[in-house]
Amino acid sequence: MPYKIQEVKRGIKTHMIETNKFKTNLFAIFLSVPLNRESVTQNALIPAVLRRGTANLKTQEEISIALENMYGATLDCGVEKTGDNQTLKFYLETLNDTFLPEQENLSKKAIELLLDVVFNPLTENRNFKKEYVDSEKKTIKRLIEGKIDNKDMYAYNRCIEEMYKNKPYGLYKYGYIEDLDKLDEKNLYEDYKKLLNEAKIDIFVSGNFGNDDIIDVINENINIVNLKPREDKHIINTEEKEKKEKVEVQTIQEPKDVTQGKLVIGLDIDFYEPDSKYAMCLYNVILGESATSKMFQNVREKAGLAYSARSTYVRQKNNIFIRAGIEISNYEKAVNIIKEQLEDMKNGKFTEEDIENAKKYMVAGIKTVQDEQDSEITYYMGQELSGKLIYFEDYINKINDVTREQIDQIAKNININTIYFLKNNE
Amino acid sequence: MQIIENSKVKEKLYVEKLENGLTVMIMPKANIQKKYMIWATNFGSIDNRFIAPNEKEETSIPDGVAHFLEHKMFEQPNGTNSLDTLTALGVNANAYTTTDHTSYLFECTDNFIPALDELMDYVQNPYFTDENVEKEKGIIGQEIKMYDDYPQWAVYMNAMRNMYKNNPIKIDIAGTIESISKIDKEVLYKCYNTFYHPSNMVMCFAGDFEPEKLLEEVKKRLKSTEKHGEIKRIYPEEPGEIVKKESVQKMEVSMPIFVIGIKDSLDNKNCNNDSIIKKHIAIEILLNMLIGKSSKLYKDLYESELITGEPYLEYEFSKQYAHIAITGQSNNPKQVLEKLQEEIKKMKSNEIDLEHFKRIKNMIYGNYVKEYDDVAEICRMFVADYMKGINSFGYIENYKQVTPEYTKQVLNEVFNEEKTVISIIEKCTN
Repeated sequence: MPYKIQEVKRGIKTHMIETNKFKTNLFAIFLSVPLNRESVTQNALIPAVLRRGTANLKTQEEISIALENMYGATLDCGVEKTGDNQTLKFYLETLNDTFLPEQENLSKKAIELLLDVVFNPLTENRNFKKEYVDSEKKTIKRLIEGKIDNKDMYAYNRCIEEMYKNKPYGLYKYGYIEDLDKLDEKNLYEDYKKLLNEAKIDIFVSGNFGNDDIIDVINENINIVNLKPREDKHIINTEEKEKKEKVEVQTIQEPKDVTQGKLVIGLDIDFYEPDSKYAMCLYNVILGESATSKMFQNVREKAGLAYSARSTYVRQKNNIFIRAGIEISNYEKAVNIIKEQLEDMKNGKFTEEDIENAKKYMVAGIKTVQDEQDSEITYYMGQELSGKLIYFEDYINKINDVTREQIDQIAKNININTIYFLKNNE
Repeated sequence: MQIIENSKVKEKLYVEKLENGLTVMIMPKANIQKKYMIWATNFGSIDNRFIAPNEKEETSIPDGVAHFLEHKMFEQPNGTNSLDTLTALGVNANAYTTTDHTSYLFECTDNFIPALDELMDYVQNPYFTDENVEKEKGIIGQEIKMYDDYPQWAVYMNAMRNMYKNNPIKIDIAGTIESISKIDKEVLYKCYNTFYHPSNMVMCFAGDFEPEKLLEEVKKRLKSTEKHGEIKRIYPEEPGEIVKKESVQKMEVSMPIFVIGIKDSLDNKNCNNDSIIKKHIAIEILLNMLIGKSSKLYKDLYESELITGEPYLEYEFSKQYAHIAITGQSNNPKQVLEKLQEEIKKMKSNEIDLEHFKRIKNMIYGNYVKEYDDVAEICRMFVADYMKGINSFGYIENYKQVTPEYTKQVLNEVFNEEKTVISIIEKCTN
């Protein structure tokens, strides 16, 4: 098998993807914890502080120089909301040794640098460096304020926030400005140590490592040796836990400085059976993901109301989000056309051909996951968080096995939860 | 077919120029599931005045025609839409328009041949009616409005307008609601017949292919065409000077964003390919040395909170324009510009720091090599460079030849304060 998982200690795993398809090697470290209001902001701040300096490379400048010397290796840090978890992400990409102009062993250097960034930060008097924490608090503050800069994403996030009021999934992944004020180099360092002791840790390596045993390099690294085994507390992300109740449709209209209205409709899928997620994927493709979908055909091509009109399935939460950018005065018209599409789906008004097309669409998507290192890692990490591993081939088979009856059943159990519209200031 | 091999990235490019003038480029990539193809024509948003082959009169077209044509090419006489047909094959199809070319593309894992059939069929068979042209105006209108809400797009376009007086790069690729209202099926046919001739087009493939066999498949599907005369493109005379140093627009953003532009002279037209590539590499090195992540200026700006993250650095050029664009976010963009200009002066009066130079050069080498992992990236890059008269491999071949002395010379020639502009989007206060 080209994909190997090893438990280093309880709650800590390495994942090895061996491949010689790429000119790069990619390393990734993920720290996952349950998402909640108390810790969301500090967890967003931690990666930003970590990338400022390690015990060995004390400044951002030193880190940048080290990366440039590795033929432009790239270091990426961030946070992601993965269902009801918050995942801190750290990536390092380097050239594969085969493609260096001069012989060198970059892989070992690269993984050691990344481990240092995550586990061996620069400290002062057993705290984070004050200057870095103060400065990165401002960075996160700007990211939170910057929510509004991308109006499409803003509308999408606002719809989720309204649907999940006071629930973990409704939280913004970068946290809240009022919570930032409470954080300093001392308590953030305490939070960080707690995080290192409690988070589920997954370390991925993808690429061609010749004869080096890169996993040994990780296992023997002092940062890893020093970690304690831990009780893995992350929330298992599965659609089966997402029980939905019928709610009255909530309608929200918010004015901002926009020339185009941004419509987001959040749908609840009130249905679960083992493996029903495959049928849900297909339902979503038929409804709004592909160019032959009902959304694209009817909202865009027939009515000419939108340039962008599509839907996204969020498996972890058993939701579908429909999104369209429309003329503000066309709000009623667009909502009505979208409701008609949902009705049509309920009444089984989709063809065998629609199902076949959707299957082909999904299968092509799954096959190409392996053509990109980061999407392959993201795929396996998603499986890891859902608690069961499905290989690409099984996934494809399960998609192909879905029947019309299964899609019908889902269609009958889909309800609008929220209609959110971002419009202009009047 | 001609085979061009690059030993550094360990890839081969197969190239053939067919009798009808079409250039075909194929890069085989074993073990990759995805197959990717682009068929592109050398017709973009800046080509809005021309004399068609065998005509004497100049044709002048409304802004946004190349992009409008891209949207309408998918429509078929039998009422179907090729985008639907391709999607039904499980193929991911798309198209895009730039300043100097229009691309039709798909990526797939299965059904490559049926998809090739469909793509080559629709690109060779336009079908425009008054009705389908009218309907598209609504859709493209929404696309234009979507861009109106992107501050990043507004700040970039304003920078172009600050630099260019006449060059059509200063108009939006999609045109305006007003300009597209004037588009009708006649102008679309006229442009199709002028620019969609094989001799004005290039095809690029990357994926698990056998090049010779694939070339035969392409040839089989080409319609016979009459020989095409020369298309005379007319571009307005563009002065060397900029239009204005500064522009400020207000939008709802959390923090001001800016583009610093430096207009370059157009002697690119008279350069050979290698010298354009070398100049491009030198400019990339200089930008990174000046304000890249490990530079002193970046450190100062970050620590004094003048910028929030790495600025985006680019040298953009075609046969008709050339400029540097530095994009970033700052509470005080004008101060960023001042500090940058001080840094440029300092760099001009000092020797090039050789250690820094070598490091950045290695980084740029790594960035070029990484481009060869993704079949989509490969096709887009080879097509875009082809339109500029460049072979993309040239970047890896020429990087060694870029010396500190030459780079210093480019610094003195290109980084000219008189030709520097800034475009700013400020927060609106409501």
